[in-house]
Amino acid sequence: MSLSVIWYLKEFIRSEWLRKFFFVKTAPLETPAHFRGFPQTTENACTHCFACKMICPAPGAIDVLRDGETWMPHIYLGHCIRCGLCVEACPEDVLTAGRLLEVQKIDQTSYASTFHVVIDPELCKRCGNCSVACPVNKEIDPYLAGTGTASSEEVIMRIIRGEMRVIHPEKCTGCKTCEETCPNHAIRVARVVQGVQEERS
Amino acid sequence: MSRLQDLKNTVRSKSIHVCYVNVGSCNGCDIEILACLAPRYDIEQYGIYVHNNPREADVLLITGAFSPQWEDKLMELWEKIPEPKVAIAIGNCPISGCVFNREGSYVDPPVRKHIPIGAEVPGCPPRPTEILQAVLSLAPVVFKDYEGGNE
Amino acid sequence: MKRTVDVSLPIGPVHPVFKEPCRIKCETRGEYVLNAEIELGYVKKGIERIMRGRPWQEVMFLAERVCGICSVIHNMVFIEGVELISDISLTDRAAYLRVIVNELDRIQSHLLANYSYCYTIEHETLAMYLLNLRETAMDALERLTGARVTCSYIIPGGVRFDLSEADARWLQETVDTIDSELTRFVTMFKTGSLIALRSKEVGIFTREEAIESHAVGPTARASGLTHDCRLDHPTYRRLDFTPVVYTEGDNYARIMVRFDEVFQSTALIRECLDRLELGKIRGGGEVIAGTSRWAGEAPRGELTYQITTDEYGRVMNIGIRTPSIMNIEACAHYMIKGVLSAADVTSTYISSDPCIACNER
Repeated sequence: MSLSVIWYLKEFIRSEWLRKFFFVKTAPLETPAHFRGFPQTTENACTHCFACKMICPAPGAIDVLRDGETWMPHIYLGHCIRCGLCVEACPEDVLTAGRLLEVQKIDQTSYASTFHVVIDPELCKRCGNCSVACPVNKEIDPYLAGTGTASSEEVIMRIIRGEMRVIHPEKCTGCKTCEETCPNHAIRVARVVQGVQEERS
Repeated sequence: MSRLQDLKNTVRSKSIHVCYVNVGSCNGCDIEILACLAPRYDIEQYGIYVHNNPREADVLLITGAFSPQWEDKLMELWEKIPEPKVAIAIGNCPISGCVFNREGSYVDPPVRKHIPIGAEVPGCPPRPTEILQAVLSLAPVVFKDYEGGNE
Repeated sequence: MKRTVDVSLPIGPVHPVFKEPCRIKCETRGEYVLNAEIELGYVKKGIERIMRGRPWQEVMFLAERVCGICSVIHNMVFIEGVELISDISLTDRAAYLRVIVNELDRIQSHLLANYSYCYTIEHETLAMYLLNLRETAMDALERLTGARVTCSYIIPGGVRFDLSEADARWLQETVDTIDSELTRFVTMFKTGSLIALRSKEVGIFTREEAIESHAVGPTARASGLTHDCRLDHPTYRRLDFTPVVYTEGDNYARIMVRFDEVFQSTALIRECLDRLELGKIRGGGEVIAGTSRWAGEAPRGELTYQITTDEYGRVMNIGIRTPSIMNIEACAHYMIKGVLSAADVTSTYISSDPCIACNER
């Protein structure tokens, strides 16, 4: 009993023990490279296709903002959940997080999405706002944007014989402008995403 | 006097008692706070002691997006903490509501509407090192030159 | 002499041993607990309500955030339910990778549960050992999926990231480390006489009571029920797997079931790594309309998702049944009742591994 007390006292007055007790800390820990942190932008130019914004599962986490002539995605801390979907979805590799981009290059993985425009005929008032607002329609038929009457058959949707018809749903880019301009919430854009992988050589 | 104050500041920044409260989180941030206790991160080597008693705490870590049950309880809890005190929002939920801040959910973020928040640690969930850094960098600032009864 | 009176003893919602807010009301006579009642509802968020009308890539993240401790299994069961509706097939490599990640998640969850128990019975040394070992499992999860807690690894038709050769070798070594370290700690737990005093014959939960209260998971398996959802899973059926069953039904048995399941998980991971062949990890496949019901074995027991989707794969209706609600009720009605001291109330409660966030969503 007394021997052990003496042993402990002797241990405690060793200078090394005292130094360790007061000053030793664990080595600072570094975030490993494979952790997917907040997405960072690379040098690649953004084409503002909004693929990142469309796949983002967290509300208000990412926005593509214009800075003069160029566009750049901007991540909002406090909203971003670091899932890395935007990095994988970006076709131009503008964003990067951890080693996600390299892994994606090796695995040859990506997401393929298709868009479906659905109009509820009971809610639709046939105002034609959606076909006028649609940016794809504007590009195909500038006349539609100006006058509100379509002359082309190549547009996504137009009014045919008093009914709003979707003619070319495959041209939809999923911007959801029509959803926002619809006064009656009659039009909805459904995005169907699937994870795909190319055959490795 | 100033030397005494310096001594007080040093001592105070080396002894921080932490209380954490979950106001509607998914547990992800809670287990990351718990992971700070692990010998790898070893929160206690910095003099930070984690326990769940608000009456002894200096720092309140808040996780979660504020569910309606806490409407009255969180303020009560905040008042029980003795001065000087600070609250840190851990994770996205208390900052913005994270993925729960959607139409139809019961939560009422951000938490800074309900009690004053001193710092925010973004991430869903933040890494233990990020939590540790936030507590360590904030605590000396808040407790600096505090004299009781001045207010 | 002091007269013994009935005292209603409230524990919580903010209490040093609880990781989550919850209130236990105990009716006690002296130290003897006559009756217990559990009050929930502190973390209700209404996740099922926000899930409606959203496609899988958004619901997946919400499902993960039902519970942060067992996030992988929520992700897995939801995606498997969606795959069942749309008849999406899975490559072998992706199926085994899913099992590996799921078992790593189970390891960290069980170690965390046993850490909380050891911490509650004030055996801090063993608790810290277990928490440190859990960090090793978290490292493995991080290397595979890129995140520590919310991994978001599983998508319809496959998984998000592949496992490289170097990482597979590293994982093999890590699993061996977990095994050898845990063997030491389990010996400590088995031979500790004070642990035995606090654990054995405390919080008895018999087989009949387990059937009556619909207990699931390790809590039920410690009372002699053999039910394990992994027995019905197509990938697990290809692996060598038998559930761990103890018959004592006390705190000690519940902790030992979890320890043994960690060893079982490491064995499963090793088997999966051996069977892993090169190939694709994603097959694609669109989600279509339909209804399905799918169950999986979470670290805490059976987890069921009932999903209805519309023609473009949006979730129209969803019902989640999490394991903790049965275990918490079983804990309140059978285990805590008859516990000899108020100190054992918290340890018994923790031994059933309650997860409040799962429960209330």
